[in-house]
Amino acid sequence: MKLYEHEALESIYKKYKIPSPRFVFATEPNDKVREFVEKEPAVVIKSMVLVGKRGKAGAVKVVSDKVQAIDVFKDLASREVYGEKSIGALVAEKLDIKKEFYLSVTYSTKDRAPAIIFSEHGGMDVEDINPSLIHTHVVKDVRSVYPYQIRNFLVEIGFSDSDLLRPLSELIVNVYNAFWQTEARLLEINPLVVAQVADKKKLVAADAVVLLDDDASVSPAVRYGARGGMGRPLTQREQDAILIDQGDHRGKAGSYVELDGDVALMTFGGGGSTVTAETAIEAGLRIANLTDIGGNPPAEKMYKIARIILSKPGLKAVLVCGGTASNTRIDVTLGEGLAKALDDMKAEGKLNPDLVWVVRRSGPEYVKGLRMLHECFVRNGIRGEIYDSQLPITEAPLRLRELMIKHIAYKPEDIA
Amino acid sequence: MKGPVYLNEKTGVVVIGATGREASQVIRESETLYPGIVKAGVTPGKGGSTELPVPVFDTLSQSLQDPKIGNSINTALIYVPPVSVLDAVMECLDGGIKVIYVITEHVPIRDSEIIYQEKVRRGAVIVGGTSLGCFVPSVGRIGAIGGKDPSIAFKAGGLVIISKSGGLTVTTAEMFRRRGWGTYCALAIGGDIISNTTYADVLAELKDDPNVKGVVMLGEPGGSYEEQAAEMIQAGGFNKPVAAFISGRFQERMPEGVAFGHAGAIVERGMGKASDKIARLEVAGKNHPVKVAFYYHELVSAIESLGVPRDFEDSVTDHVKPLYSTIS
Repeated sequence: MKLYEHEALESIYKKYKIPSPRFVFATEPNDKVREFVEKEPAVVIKSMVLVGKRGKAGAVKVVSDKVQAIDVFKDLASREVYGEKSIGALVAEKLDIKKEFYLSVTYSTKDRAPAIIFSEHGGMDVEDINPSLIHTHVVKDVRSVYPYQIRNFLVEIGFSDSDLLRPLSELIVNVYNAFWQTEARLLEINPLVVAQVADKKKLVAADAVVLLDDDASVSPAVRYGARGGMGRPLTQREQDAILIDQGDHRGKAGSYVELDGDVALMTFGGGGSTVTAETAIEAGLRIANLTDIGGNPPAEKMYKIARIILSKPGLKAVLVCGGTASNTRIDVTLGEGLAKALDDMKAEGKLNPDLVWVVRRSGPEYVKGLRMLHECFVRNGIRGEIYDSQLPITEAPLRLRELMIKHIAYKPEDIA
Repeated sequence: MKGPVYLNEKTGVVVIGATGREASQVIRESETLYPGIVKAGVTPGKGGSTELPVPVFDTLSQSLQDPKIGNSINTALIYVPPVSVLDAVMECLDGGIKVIYVITEHVPIRDSEIIYQEKVRRGAVIVGGTSLGCFVPSVGRIGAIGGKDPSIAFKAGGLVIISKSGGLTVTTAEMFRRRGWGTYCALAIGGDIISNTTYADVLAELKDDPNVKGVVMLGEPGGSYEEQAAEMIQAGGFNKPVAAFISGRFQERMPEGVAFGHAGAIVERGMGKASDKIARLEVAGKNHPVKVAFYYHELVSAIESLGVPRDFEDSVTDHVKPLYSTIS
C-alpha cells in the first residue's frame, strides 16, 4: 500500500527521526494553512495524490506571495493529477537547497536482501540518473545495521562532503530502521536535500514515498484504510466486490478492477487470470475488468461477483476462463452461482441478449458444471461456446475474438 | 535415486499445521494417491489425534523422536497462517530438516527475508512461500498440486516445469500432456518478492540430471529471478532446451503511476518489467537453446522446435471443438 506524503511524514518520519520540512496538510485553505503561509517567507505547495511525477504535472508549486499562495492551495488541493483526484494539499516551508541527493531502501531480488540505494545526484527521476552515479549497499545481516557500516559505504563510493558523513550515516540508518520496522517494501526520499539553515548545513527529506507491505504482520489497511491499486478512488463496483469476501473466508471472489473496455472477464486463479487477460489484450480485445476468483468459493459468492462483472454498461462479450482447478468446484461456481446470476438477471430484464460468450474451464465436477451452464445458456437464449481443458487456456480469448468479429462485427484494437 | 532433491523415493514428509482445513484435505488426498510419502503431521494441541491417516504430534521434535517414523522424516510442508510461518520454518531448520515447502500465501516480506538469510546460513532447500508444491510423476507429489485427479495433467516424461503460479504449473503440465510430453518434475516456486528457490536455483540443481529433456519456465513481472536464469544460461550454467513464457506485458500499458510494478524494479534499473525479462531471455536464446513464447499456448511449439522429444503419442491434434455451442 502506498502512503500519501503527509501520512508518511506524520506517522513514520516523525517516529524514526527522519528530518522533514515544517508542513501542514489540509483539504482546504483553513486557518492552519493561512497561519502557516503568513509565517513563512515562501512555501512549497503539493497536491496530495498517490501517483508519482507530480512536478511534471504541475502539481508542485513554489509561491512567495501570500494571497496567491491561498489560491494555489485551493487549486492544488482539488485538482486531478494524471486522472487521480487530490485528497488535499500539503504546504511546506521552502528550503534553501544547496544539494539534492537520492536515497531509498527496498528489497533487491538480485541479492534477496534489503538494499540501500544512494546517489549524490538526486532531484530527478531515478530512471534518469546515470547508473554509474547510483550506489547500492546490500544489507547482509538485516538485524544489525550501524552507522559505521554506512560511513564505510559512503567513503568507498567517494562521497564528497566529509562534514555530512556522520549525520548522513545516522539518517540512513534511521531510514533503514523505518523501512524494516514498519515492514515497508520501499521507502524513497527524492530529493534528500542539503539545506542551508542559518550558518549550518542540514539534511532534510523533501519528499516521502512509502510503500508498505500489504502482507505485513499488521495490515496497513487497518491503519490507513483500504486503498485501490489504480491511483484513483475505488469505483462503486470495486467497493461492492470487496464486500463479497468480508467476513467469509471460503474462497475468494471479491477481486475486481474496473477498466474502460467492453469485454468482461470472469477469470480464475492468479496465473490463469493474468495470462487470459494478457492474451485478450494482445489479441486486441478491450477488456472491461480484471478479476481473479479462486479457492473454491461458495455459489453465493460467485453469484455476487458475476452480477457485478455483468452490471458494467456497454459490454459486448464475456470470457469465462480458468485452468484445471485443483480445488474449486465447477458445478458450484459455474453450474450454480453463475447460472443463477444469469437466470435472475434475465428475469429482471437486466441480461443483455446480444453478449457473445466463451467459456473454458475444467476441474472438480466440470462435466456436470459445464452441462448445467449450457442448460442455463439454452433457457436464457445466451449465445456462446463452452470448452473444457482440451482447448489450451489462452486459445479461449482468441476463440472469443473470432466469434465477436463474425457475429457482432467487432473491430479489435490494433496493438502492434 | 529416483527423483530430484525436491521430491524423491527417500522423501518423507511432515506437515506443519496438519489439521487445518486445506492441509488435512491434502494429506488425505495424497495418502490415497501416493501412500507413504507423508509420515506425520504437527499441530500444537492436537497431538495424538487420529483424525488423519498419519500420526499427529504437538511438536516437530516429538515427531522426529518417534521410534517408528522419526528417522524417515526429511522434508516439511508448511500450512500455518502467514504470521506463524517464520516460527514454523525455524522449528524445521532447528530440527535439522533440509527440504521445506512453504505453501502459505501472504507471508510478510520481512519474515521471508529472515527465512532466506537463515536458509542460506544452514544450507537448506526452501521452496516458497506461496508454493503449491511439487509433482514428480515417477515418485508422487508434495502439496495440493494436481488436485484429486492429477492424472489429467501429469504423466511421467522429460519436462521440468517451473512456475511462480501454482495453477499455471498444472495447466501447463496438462497442455503438454495432451500433446505428447510428460513431466519429470513440476515445481511451483511461488511469486513472493523474496523467493527461497528461484528458476536459477532449480536449473543449477537439475543441470546434470539425465532425466531432464527440457524445461518450461513460466515467469511474471517483478523482481529479477527470470533475468537471473537468463544470465545463468548465457554463462553456460545450463545447456538443455528452455521454453519460457513471461506474463504481464499488458501491465506496462496501464496508466501512468499504476502501482503494479514491484519495488525491486527500482533497484535493478530496467529489470522487473515483463518486456525486459523477455528481451533478456531472447538474448540468452541467441547462443543457447532458449525460446520465448509470445502466446502462452505457443510454449508447445517452442518445446517442439527446440527438439525435445515427445514422451508418448499425441492425444490432441485437431482443432478443438467446443463441448457445447449456442452460437452458429
